[in-house]
Amino acid sequence: MNALVERKPLKHRLIAWLGKLYPMAKRWLYHFHGGVFPKYHKSLSNRHPLLEDYIPDLLTLPVQQHLGVATEPLVQVGDRVLKYQRIADTNKGLSAPIHAPTSGYVTAIEPRILPHPSGLPGLCILIEPDGEDQAQPLTPAKSPATPQALKKLVHEAGIVGMGGAGFPTFAKIPDQRGCIEHLIINGAECEPFITCDDQLMQHKAQAIWRGAEIVAQSLGIPRVLCGIEDNKSQAIEAMNDALSGLSTASHEQTSFEVHPVATVYPMGGQEQLTQELLHLEIPSDKHAIEVGVLMMNVATLAAIAEAADEGKPLISRYVTVSGMGLEHPFNANVLLGTSFQALAEKASPKTALTYPLIQGGPMMGISMHSNNVPVIKTTNCVLANPPEAVEPAMPCIRCGECMDACPIQLLPQQLYWHSRSHEYDKVKDLSVFDCIECGCCSFVCPSHIPLVQYYRHAKSEIVRIEKEDAAAELAKQRHEFKQARIEKAEKAKKARLQAKKDAVKKQAAGKKPATGAAAAKARAAAAAKKAAAAKTTNQSETSPSEKPAQTAREKAMAAAKARAQKAKNQADNAPNTDSATTSTAEDKRKAAMAAAKKRAKTRQKTETGASPLKASDNAQSESDDKRQRAMNAAKQASKKGESSVSQEAGTKADTTAPTQDKRKAAMEAAKKRAKARQMQQTTPDQTESDQASDTED
Amino acid sequence: MSLPYSSPYVHNASSVRRTMLQVQIAAFPALMAHIYFFGFGITIQWGLAVITWLLVEYGLLKLRNRPVKPFISDMSGLITVTGIVFCIPPESPWWVIVSAVIFALVFGKHLYGGLGYNPFNPAMLGYAFVLISFPAEVTQWTLPTGISGHHLSFLESAQIIFTGQFPPGLMHLTGATPLNELQTALINGASAAETWASSRFNDPNLVNGWFWVNVAFLIGGLWMLYSRAIRWQYPAGFLGALALMAAIFHAIDPDTYAPVSFHLFSGGVMLAAFFIITDPVSSSTTPMGRLIYAIGIGVLVYVIRNWGSFPDGIAFAVLLMNLFVPLLDQYTQPRVMGHTRR
Amino acid sequence: MIEALIVFLALAVIFGLLLGYAKIKFKVEGNPVADQIDNILPQTQCGQCGFPGCRPYAEALAEGKSEVNLCVPGGHEVMIQISEITHREPKEMDETKAPPDEPMVAVIDEDLCIGCVHCIKACPVDAIVGATKMMHTVIEKECTGCELCVPVCPVDCIDMVPQRPTPQTWHWPEPIANSLERRS
Repeated sequence: MNALVERKPLKHRLIAWLGKLYPMAKRWLYHFHGGVFPKYHKSLSNRHPLLEDYIPDLLTLPVQQHLGVATEPLVQVGDRVLKYQRIADTNKGLSAPIHAPTSGYVTAIEPRILPHPSGLPGLCILIEPDGEDQAQPLTPAKSPATPQALKKLVHEAGIVGMGGAGFPTFAKIPDQRGCIEHLIINGAECEPFITCDDQLMQHKAQAIWRGAEIVAQSLGIPRVLCGIEDNKSQAIEAMNDALSGLSTASHEQTSFEVHPVATVYPMGGQEQLTQELLHLEIPSDKHAIEVGVLMMNVATLAAIAEAADEGKPLISRYVTVSGMGLEHPFNANVLLGTSFQALAEKASPKTALTYPLIQGGPMMGISMHSNNVPVIKTTNCVLANPPEAVEPAMPCIRCGECMDACPIQLLPQQLYWHSRSHEYDKVKDLSVFDCIECGCCSFVCPSHIPLVQYYRHAKSEIVRIEKEDAAAELAKQRHEFKQARIEKAEKAKKARLQAKKDAVKKQAAGKKPATGAAAAKARAAAAAKKAAAAKTTNQSETSPSEKPAQTAREKAMAAAKARAQKAKNQADNAPNTDSATTSTAEDKRKAAMAAAKKRAKTRQKTETGASPLKASDNAQSESDDKRQRAMNAAKQASKKGESSVSQEAGTKADTTAPTQDKRKAAMEAAKKRAKARQMQQTTPDQTESDQASDTED
Repeated sequence: MSLPYSSPYVHNASSVRRTMLQVQIAAFPALMAHIYFFGFGITIQWGLAVITWLLVEYGLLKLRNRPVKPFISDMSGLITVTGIVFCIPPESPWWVIVSAVIFALVFGKHLYGGLGYNPFNPAMLGYAFVLISFPAEVTQWTLPTGISGHHLSFLESAQIIFTGQFPPGLMHLTGATPLNELQTALINGASAAETWASSRFNDPNLVNGWFWVNVAFLIGGLWMLYSRAIRWQYPAGFLGALALMAAIFHAIDPDTYAPVSFHLFSGGVMLAAFFIITDPVSSSTTPMGRLIYAIGIGVLVYVIRNWGSFPDGIAFAVLLMNLFVPLLDQYTQPRVMGHTRR
Repeated sequence: MIEALIVFLALAVIFGLLLGYAKIKFKVEGNPVADQIDNILPQTQCGQCGFPGCRPYAEALAEGKSEVNLCVPGGHEVMIQISEITHREPKEMDETKAPPDEPMVAVIDEDLCIGCVHCIKACPVDAIVGATKMMHTVIEKECTGCELCVPVCPVDCIDMVPQRPTPQTWHWPEPIANSLERRS
């Protein structure tokens, strides 16, 4: 390490000298691939003093300012809230509570446009400050000693990653001590224009180190590295000076280091800074903490220090207000919920702010759909760059500049080809999900192709397709399950029927002395099911061979057949009434049985006969028919409802309430439909369901 | 006027036109050298080529119903025609350059979908077309002033190009190139060393035009390397492979195989190394792919020069390697950060 | 002459054996075409193709018994894919049956529901919960938007509502193809 430190300056000087001859020699100054050197414009906002204690007229606090689940408001419209009061929280999942930045009244809880690329509205709590800035008493927490205590502290203070991602910080902290070897303080701030972290390091260096100390102590981290780009010499100096403010005890436990790093975009990326400081690549399928690295933004650490030592939740943050369209850019300690427009107006814009403001820097920021969006926990910059003429995109000339600039060493150009032709599986194979959307590729593209948007679109498309596939798979499974269930139910029903039939037969056999005759009857009945031709052949064949022994049986059979025939005829007309005409109870029972059999037979016929054909025509007509009927019924119902409503509205003759009326009409329609269906019923399934609905009525 | 939909909202101000113009500017030293050694024929050829380019491109863009202005002003066609102009003999008939340019733009570029979509290097496609169609016209080079003893004036060149009539007494102005001579000699069984020793080009008092034109290309190429208009893999791979091949075979049999310096500074080697094979559209895009592509061309050029039937094989070597580009792109993808291997 | 005959005969025998071996070695079980089609169908099980679910339609297609343009929710894209798999001519979709522009889900107006269980029976994916004479409700996550429950409702209390994007479900749009780059 020492040798490296000694060698570095010489190498740096050499490359700096070379850089004058060959600008791209600067790429040899750091350890990750690619990177670009945009114009930084940092002095625009850096040369002006920091603005503090600005309370705007209205604070708009979205209930979701982080990745994960939205919080739920804990206050109501009209409530007076105090500074630091918790106004929204949830326990439904990954989230961070939200606190009132100043005292005032809740004027509304309603959807407002969010600082989000979609420009969609989301639920916000609107607070009108009363100007008193009356604070709720704070209870400084003890310095957390365990990871759990730290997590609780960080969560309750509502701290999220303030570098831009907005991942709730507590979720990033591991549960066990000692699994983190390096805490990296991210002070690189590589985006052009933005100087808020620079200012924070100059003004609150003590707090940043204190935050790092708290995290290091509670997690048992042996080494804390602070990476700062070497164009922020004042911040490096301030951080070095503030190191002495830490207690000697913690200096003994942990080594605190400040590392100036090369000024290159995107040095501030987690993977890039880790590689630069530790020469360690975070495997793409692992989180940083799995390789023993925890990275925190300077602002996050300062917020942790304030939460631990003073009990202050996160209610404000440093924001850079800058851009080529502003006369007096500045940095400010801004209350969360302050509108972009108000901040930009304070910087005296050169022309009216008719163009969209940008949240974040020009490389990774997002342009706003409304300039009235609020500052949230992840807003580090409000950028007012008047739009310039956008060069039309030319076709890709495969020059490879994008590939040379990519800090992840992806193949942006191939990703682009596949994204454009919607070959998302190939896009995924080319590791599009490793893309950090830093914008280097679009920045250098001579054809001005909006590459990053292609990747963003491809990513969200891949996610959507995967979701859709999962949903389709689920639907398929559920459908198959339902089919299986219906089939099973049908089988069970059949089995039940069969069992009943068998039982009845057995009973009959037990009662009758002439067992053979009964059996013959049963057989005869079975034979009756067959076609007439089969019957005749059966007769002619069986009778001569079994003549000597079975004359009685034959007689019985003939009688049974005749009876069965009779019963069949009767059943065709009206089975129940006709069966009453037969004299004996035995006959009656037989007739009923035959009728039942016959019914079963016809049912079977329709079933077996229809189902193979069902495939196309039947099902089509059936479902169409069903639909048609349903539609008619629904129309009727709605018409009735309508007419009754109009009646009521027009003449007031009807005294019933409209909803009741509608309901009644609907019920009637339902009944009608049920009846109609009963008349048309063909399959047993429907019969049942309709009967069921009948009984329900 | 509005911001782009997605970040980044800034750009490094590079453009296709800028890149192409850089290449064009880098070709100027070579143009000057060419005029100095071979006369003004090349300016006439260049003018013809530019006129043809503008007409053809305009017509095709109209036919394809595409906007004309951005696709002509991107200057990609200019690079194509410049490449062809340097390849064909300066005093070849006017229809050679015209047909080469038309073929290059129509079949090499627009039929594939225009800028960015051509799998083959259009300039080399056009050159290969005339090389095969009109071998006699294309292989007869104007002799350098130092050898012929006459510097062709603009009017004389124009007369030769447009009428095919040589001014009286100047019939000896064109002839075989050194490469051509070598190949003929080798076919006839003479050794390379002997041929070179007896060649009229090997006169220390005379300045070998091809050598200096190549040097001029080298200077332009180095500037392009510096300004990042081209990548180092192309010249390094191509020249390295060619030099290595030449060195190996020269070491094995100096009688049959010409020395390294001869190969590196003859024909269109430097033109190819910095201006032709660096065409990004038809070459590989990965660093390793570019290197393999360039090495492949170097090897093929040497093979064609020594064992093929054409004196210089750059056009065919480039076109052959263009075929391998999709394969190279597929199998030379670099390791993505955070991944162990692809 | 004889040698040529022998050589070619031998070659024919060798290739024939190779083909035979390949057929045994690389045999594909089941009906891959039906599976393939089933995979690209949207699995809404809506029955608008006239088949009781996506799988039967896929099977009918695999057997060549059905038209390629019957899947309404899949739309033009699925039709093209089907005709590619089945090697049949693509057919225009029925204009009158257009898939909805946005994904829809069924929502039961719970004040009106009479608990008739008709929709529960109609739902192909069991995405409606409820019991006889009890209020029913739709599991939004599992609803495929097939609309089969809408007509069977006797009181007309089921509505198809589009799923509005939220900042969480919002997708980046594709860059607008500008005039210089024409989409292929």
